[in-house]
Amino acid sequence: MPIGPDIIEALRLELRRGSLILAVLGTLRSEKYGYTLKTELGEAGVDIDEGALYPMLRRLEAQGLLTSEWREDAKRQKRFYRLSADGAAALEHLTQEWRGMNRALERILGGPPAAAGLKEGRQ
Amino acid sequence: MTDHLVEAHLKFHDMNAPDDGERKVKDMIARYLAAVERRLPDDAAKDIIAELREAIDSRVEAKEAELGRAAGDDEIAAVLKDFGHPVVVASRYSGNDHLIGPGYYPWFWHVQRIAVGLAIAIGFGIVTIRALGSEEPFRAAFRGIGSALEIALVTFGVVTALFIAAERGKLDMKWAAKWDPKSLPRDNVRQPRTLFESAFTLVFDIVFLLFWVKVVQFPNEIPVRDGASAALAFSPAWDVVYWPILVLAVGVTVVHLADILHPAWSRVRSVVSIAGHLAGLGILWVLYQSQPLIEVTPVDGADLDEIARVVRMVWGIVNVSLGVAALIWVVTIGVEVWRLLRTARAPANPSQVAA
Repeated sequence: MPIGPDIIEALRLELRRGSLILAVLGTLRSEKYGYTLKTELGEAGVDIDEGALYPMLRRLEAQGLLTSEWREDAKRQKRFYRLSADGAAALEHLTQEWRGMNRALERILGGPPAAAGLKEGRQ
Repeated sequence: MTDHLVEAHLKFHDMNAPDDGERKVKDMIARYLAAVERRLPDDAAKDIIAELREAIDSRVEAKEAELGRAAGDDEIAAVLKDFGHPVVVASRYSGNDHLIGPGYYPWFWHVQRIAVGLAIAIGFGIVTIRALGSEEPFRAAFRGIGSALEIALVTFGVVTALFIAAERGKLDMKWAAKWDPKSLPRDNVRQPRTLFESAFTLVFDIVFLLFWVKVVQFPNEIPVRDGASAALAFSPAWDVVYWPILVLAVGVTVVHLADILHPAWSRVRSVVSIAGHLAGLGILWVLYQSQPLIEVTPVDGADLDEIARVVRMVWGIVNVSLGVAALIWVVTIGVEVWRLLRTARAPANPSQVAA
């Protein structure tokens, strides 16, 4: 029986979910507000829609991994996010985990990692 | 509430917009934000909406820079659609995107199976009793089925509500990790009883018990011709076995009730089953020795020939029934003894005993 596209899509979303958090934490090593964060992620090949991004930022802040500050920029109040000290430690830990997982998967899958980014996704 | 929120967002977006097109655009954004805001918790709504407004404005600005003109209705609608439906966006902020999470879900169905099974058994038991005691049993049964299903539905709702509360309260699930593979049920020896099987037999048990203690009575007359019938009654031979049958029937009901809670086979259950069926065989033997078991009396002018014919038929049915019951119970005892012997020979490889 052929595998339906819905099953592939569900698996793809599951695969992406944890990676998105890592990408967000990594990008916020330098301070950014929501729109520039999304743009930078998109340019790096990690597309995420705002409907998922902003709640995620809020959740990560509530978990103490990010700090935020409202500030005026280009005549508008914007909320700037950056990694907290705890967030930096968590990022270090998750990055090691990711690299280990990546090496293991490369051995299992027997090929170089795909060049394409995490495109067109939702969390 | 809605109008108030939209007004507030319109004020923020400066309703003195220079032209009608821009005013419509601002109105659409204000309505979107109001739709999200009304679904957010009060304490966080303002902060979330401020950030969402800023994000939308950034996107609109970028779009306008790309177009080289002010964004129109359609472009703004596309941006808002990209953000997501207000219900979805608001729910993502709540952090609760499921009623019962994966930690509780398997237990949810496990408990539902037991609770709803008991509710159905009890509900249909009550319906059967009421129907048998009613002058119009069929009407009473149909009326009662609705009530029985209602009981099952309410039980399902209560269990669901309890699990949702457990999920929200993050109830400790450490107990779920405290299981021992050595105490797993022997489903490889005998398949667990299905919910339907257990519930059906339980209803039958309850009806029999009520009949036996004379709470409910069945019609005992059989027609022999128009206007004449024969009444059947237990003979005094049954007096000797009245209490043994009652004790056995209560025991069987308890075992079937236990089947709903723990449907798996166990050595204890097997021994109980063997003991129960041996007792049943003993009762059958006593009854077989004490013929006749049924007394037939004429009603409404049935003559002696007709009664004699009924007597032969009834005694024949009774004797065949005793024989069939004895045969089934002997086979059942044999099967249970065989299961006990299988489990007694502790296999090196569990798959060797797979049924």
